Amino acid sequence: MAAEAYLQNDAVVTRHDQTFFGVRQKRDRMAQALPEWEDLREAASQIKKHTETHLADYLEKFEQNATKNGVHVHWANDAEEYNRIVFDILSSHQVKKVVKSKSMLTEECHLNTHLEAKGIEVVETDLGERILQMMKLAPSHIVMPALHVHREDIGDCFRKQISNFNEIAASYPTPHDDPNDPTFLTYVARMHLRQQFAEADAGMTGANFGIAETGDVVVCTNEGNADMSTSIPKLHIVSMGIEKLIPNYKAMGVFQRFVARSGTGQETTVYTSHFRGPRPGGEMHIVLVDNGRSEIIGNAEHWQTLKCMRCGACMNTCPVYRRSAGYSYTYFIPGPIGVNLGMLRDPHKYYDNVSGCSLCCSCDNVCPVKVDLSTQVYRWRQELDSLGHADPMKKMMSNGMSFLFNHPALYTSALRLSPMVNWVPSPLINLKLNPWAYGHEMMKFPKKSFHQLWKEKKL
Amino acid sequence: MSAKEEILKRLRQNTRETYDMPDLDSLKPITYVDPVAEFIQKTTTTAGAKLIEKKTDESLNDVVQTVAKGLPPSGKDGKCIIASNLSGIEAQLNPDTVSEARELMAADLGVIEGRIGVAENACIWIPQQMKEKSICFAAQQLVIVLRRDAIVNNMHEAYARIAASGDYFQQYKFGTFISGPSKTADIEGALVYGAQAARGVTVVLV
Amino acid sequence: MKIGLFVPCYVDALYPEVGVSTLRLLRSLGLDVDYPERQTCCGQPMGNAGFEKLAVPLAKKFDELFSGYDYVVAPSASCAAYVRCFHPNLLGNPGAHGARQAHDSHCPTSEKTMDLVEFLHDVIKVKSLPARFPHKVSVHNSCHGVRELGLSSPSERNIPKFNKIIDLLKLVDGIEIVEPERPDECCGFGGMFAVEEQAVSARMGLEKVRRHIATGAEYITGPDSSCLMHMQGVAQKQGLDIQFIHVAQILSAGL
Repeated sequence: MAAEAYLQNDAVVTRHDQTFFGVRQKRDRMAQALPEWEDLREAASQIKKHTETHLADYLEKFEQNATKNGVHVHWANDAEEYNRIVFDILSSHQVKKVVKSKSMLTEECHLNTHLEAKGIEVVETDLGERILQMMKLAPSHIVMPALHVHREDIGDCFRKQISNFNEIAASYPTPHDDPNDPTFLTYVARMHLRQQFAEADAGMTGANFGIAETGDVVVCTNEGNADMSTSIPKLHIVSMGIEKLIPNYKAMGVFQRFVARSGTGQETTVYTSHFRGPRPGGEMHIVLVDNGRSEIIGNAEHWQTLKCMRCGACMNTCPVYRRSAGYSYTYFIPGPIGVNLGMLRDPHKYYDNVSGCSLCCSCDNVCPVKVDLSTQVYRWRQELDSLGHADPMKKMMSNGMSFLFNHPALYTSALRLSPMVNWVPSPLINLKLNPWAYGHEMMKFPKKSFHQLWKEKKL
Repeated sequence: MSAKEEILKRLRQNTRETYDMPDLDSLKPITYVDPVAEFIQKTTTTAGAKLIEKKTDESLNDVVQTVAKGLPPSGKDGKCIIASNLSGIEAQLNPDTVSEARELMAADLGVIEGRIGVAENACIWIPQQMKEKSICFAAQQLVIVLRRDAIVNNMHEAYARIAASGDYFQQYKFGTFISGPSKTADIEGALVYGAQAARGVTVVLV
Repeated sequence: MKIGLFVPCYVDALYPEVGVSTLRLLRSLGLDVDYPERQTCCGQPMGNAGFEKLAVPLAKKFDELFSGYDYVVAPSASCAAYVRCFHPNLLGNPGAHGARQAHDSHCPTSEKTMDLVEFLHDVIKVKSLPARFPHKVSVHNSCHGVRELGLSSPSERNIPKFNKIIDLLKLVDGIEIVEPERPDECCGFGGMFAVEEQAVSARMGLEKVRRHIATGAEYITGPDSSCLMHMQGVAQKQGLDIQFIHVAQILSAGL
């Protein structure tokens, strides 16, 4: 993991860590406020386990109902097929500009790049995503992707890229000392995005959930941008990973209560919108995307990652994520779920994230659907050697220890010699060859080990 | 084979063990001694909205016009542009009769009806009851009218009502829960009300 | 009741006084304690590093060596947790999922392996100790103790609060017990994590030490010498003034 560079800037790390721990604490308050919290987690986990293991049936039901409601349902085996389908829908409707709300799936499939290469303008409408899009930065978190960007840089970007910035600024009613006050900048973005909504030919959303029983697609936001994107332009395209289905409204009650509580520490997102069919005079399309999910279901050790609702709770609690931030990971999703999903996506490309975990198990305890994240990281580690990606130093140390521990006589002899290490001069110990010395003073070996004391009948 | 057939085939082939649906009726979700009081409290604190309890001798229109007068004056002639299709409300725009959804972006105040209130999170279920739902999001401010007797304890109860009701999704295939004005904390984690949708919400309990 | 004492490899080599304290404490409670000499390691360092296969022979040896005892007690939460949670998998079905569930295991030894704290608290149900330790101590709730053995209620969960380490420490005369902010956040040791991701590990360790120091305690104490070792190394490198002691040593003070 490329965390070392990030960790050089003490103040940045502290701020990042405190910001996200703050979200973890808000989540804790939500959990403590509901006596039924742990029962809900168990229920959510079981609902997802049931749905994922009956997914084909539920998908057929979902498609049937959505189609009855006048929705066009498409299926995509993989990212290429998905990108092609979306482009075809957009181009057949002569779409020049599309506004979209946040969707991890579209990032997974690199949709924006695909559309932009074909001359369609894509405007992200979630404030964090729009900032990143304008600044050409990658997201650092799946729910709060731009928290690491400073207001000065955002203000600078807006001033440079929003052509009517001054006009908008002049209309802002509240005086403010800080030229980059977040409330002011949010207002600027609001005015800028309203223009985009008005001009767009189509709106795209992801889907937090798909309800098989009714064909509903549910989208949760705080900003209302998914709703602005779909109530003004007449064409709505939903991108949904097939694992997002749940059976019915009864199950929806459980999940709606979790999304915001787990992810941002609020009782609810401001908007929980149920899209069942097209608007009068409009068209609604749903693209169901597989892209590896139908293989994951067959993976005995890792299929439970399909339960994930992309809430981000695991990264907020992860002490490693908080001090490394998103860019230290090579997969676009960071933190515990990102380590696991990256390996499922391409183990040869993303194996270097597997070391980014101290196996503290905090993530297991916050996950609303009880994905066994730390156990899965442990299991991925067992596979690294056969994939050809085991860290050579760890391998050598493990083999060395194994040899010693399997030969008790040798082991106890080594213990007798170990106090000699105390006499090795400090500069030698602190060489680059000894990574322990990076952050630690060396331990002092006691004169006699427990084994020796026992043998000498001193006990 | 179509993509659909391929995907379904792979899923059926690769699924090993199956699991049953849990019994959700055994869950004991939170309930309140006074759900209306809880709803009012959550609405005016965590949701960041205002709340007015309409008196029986007041007309809804009077309440709405008073709210409108209290809003910052609109650019044009200082008058607040109201949008609504609710009967009895004096409005300049009607979401049933506008020709384009974007016309409702000119609304300073949208007046809409909620049909269920949820105490645990101040959510209000707003089924689409107008041709253009953009009124719910594009209007700068919202008044949401809600009957006190339509307030339930939690989302399980709300969803049960929606599932059982034959009323919703008939004419228009959309409904949304709204809890207060739109908000974001995407810039340095600073909470700001008024992101892309309503900047302020007033709930009128009738 | 015959107790088999398991003194983990690094405790044996670096902190034998912890093993000695444990032995003294158990004997003082009238227990028959034996120390099978051919013991070495539970295999956790290799397992966590990704070389579980190397831990299999160690798990087998452990199982044989300790099969005759009623309980196996170790003054190390993470080692006891590895034996209890991971040995069944290593001995039953290598490669199968669900490391944390005990399978149809050939591993009854792992089921009776316990960390010292939970053994004293749940099995012996100690209600008084002659120990005296008139100092202020900050409790380090090691991750594997909290989340794999249940030594205390994880701060993430909505369950009734409890802390077995503190329950035992309260029996000590003169002691003042505090917990740091973020009471069960990881110290960053993580075994090989400390050498593979040195920068993050050191940062986590330093912050944890600072939080302990902020309580005003003279000592940091916990059930896991690995965490204490890591924090001590970090503290010394930064010149931070605080002492480290294993709970076994406090509970056996004066014996």
